Amino acid sequence: MRIILPGDKISDNPVRMENAIVENGKTYATVMGMLDDEHGSFIPLESVWYPRQGDFVIGIVENSKNNVHTVQLDSPFRGLILPPPRPRFGRGRDDRFGGRPQREERQEILRVGDVVSCFVKDVKREADQIILILERPRRLFGGKLVEVRPSKIPRVIGKASTMLKQLEDGTKCTILVGLNGIVWMKGENVPLAQKAINKIQEEAHISGLTERVTELLASQNGGS
Amino acid sequence: MGGGKNKPELIVDGKRTDGRAFDELRPIKIEAGVLKNAEGSAYLEWGNNKVLAAVYGPKEAQPKHIADPDRAIIKCRYQMAPFSSLEEHNRSGPNRRAIEISKVTKEVFENVILLDNFPGSEIDIFVEVLQSDGGTRAAGITAAAVAVASSGIPMRDIPYAVSAGKAGDQIILDLNKIEDNYSDADMPVAIAPRNNDILLLQMDGSLSKEQVSKAMEMIQKAGETVTKLQRDALEARYR
Repeated sequence: MRIILPGDKISDNPVRMENAIVENGKTYATVMGMLDDEHGSFIPLESVWYPRQGDFVIGIVENSKNNVHTVQLDSPFRGLILPPPRPRFGRGRDDRFGGRPQREERQEILRVGDVVSCFVKDVKREADQIILILERPRRLFGGKLVEVRPSKIPRVIGKASTMLKQLEDGTKCTILVGLNGIVWMKGENVPLAQKAINKIQEEAHISGLTERVTELLASQNGGS
Repeated sequence: MGGGKNKPELIVDGKRTDGRAFDELRPIKIEAGVLKNAEGSAYLEWGNNKVLAAVYGPKEAQPKHIADPDRAIIKCRYQMAPFSSLEEHNRSGPNRRAIEISKVTKEVFENVILLDNFPGSEIDIFVEVLQSDGGTRAAGITAAAVAVASSGIPMRDIPYAVSAGKAGDQIILDLNKIEDNYSDADMPVAIAPRNNDILLLQMDGSLSKEQVSKAMEMIQKAGETVTKLQRDALEARYR
């Protein structure tokens, strides 16, 4: 593993990969990262979140108009939560005589300032900007929001969510990690969870992170 | 650039006013990631120049009407602190010189940052000169390049900038304040080192074709040192 900086050559051949560009048949890095020459994998040390379909995100409702909610995601792109489609027939049909949306189509009532977690349904290019269509919004009550650099998010989650599970167990908190770099936490020991996440952010590139986080959680929990 | 009766001797006994060789850079020190709130930042000392650079974004372009639907826009602010030099820089707001340097710095980064990835958004680059001693635009661009690289904003290359000039018949590298004021020519150049693409080339005074070639040669050679220092600063954060 070696550190690669923007403009450094990754490969002599054109390789289609994230955080890289192909120029004159060669592949060059566009961000700082660690390159594994053996496997040809490139892990960014710093990067900007670029939305993809299915990404789990956390944001704050910024505006609400005609049942369309705008969500601030701490990214250049704005998220939109659209009202659920209205069924035309059947029990959930929408008419003036008491038709109600069916249960799965009913949506949380959101107000400006609410913290919501959603999934990215679609990344749309509108007239003047990119808009993210969000789905399955869930309102988050209370708790605390923490910003994490998007490139460190995979480390906060860990392989098969091991790190996240460890954090949740060690601090007795519920932690939701948005890929856009916003983490929501609520529970018994929020300051400790925040401390641990800061540690992960600062030391994400140094191996043996899991052990150090375990140590931190154990020492703060009275050595238990 | 200046002249008149009080023009000091810029080269005495084959050496420059500060004792440097003609192709010698001033000592440079770069540190990346010095500001916690910025996405990327860098602090640079280049001789007596002290420059702080910070990068924010990409974020939604504000006001809306300046947004470009196809690419991100860059806003750049170069500013000298009121206490940065012996001369007066204490007017509030940017002056004509600061507006010009902000513009050329912005154009340097428009050519290296992958703006197409973030349509409708903006990237802010701030360059604050805390102490100045000639060549602050070169120092500002070099510092801002490290700041952008440390922010994770995708870019093609890490540019550097160095100036060269002419004192008498001699081409000199990296002009300090006195040389800047009284030399016969001053030429700051910004380069993307991978392909040696020239991103900025300005000139005060006059140079012959051969002199420009020689100056460019000196700048590119010095660029290797500057690039190495930029890389070391970035890598030092992860060692």
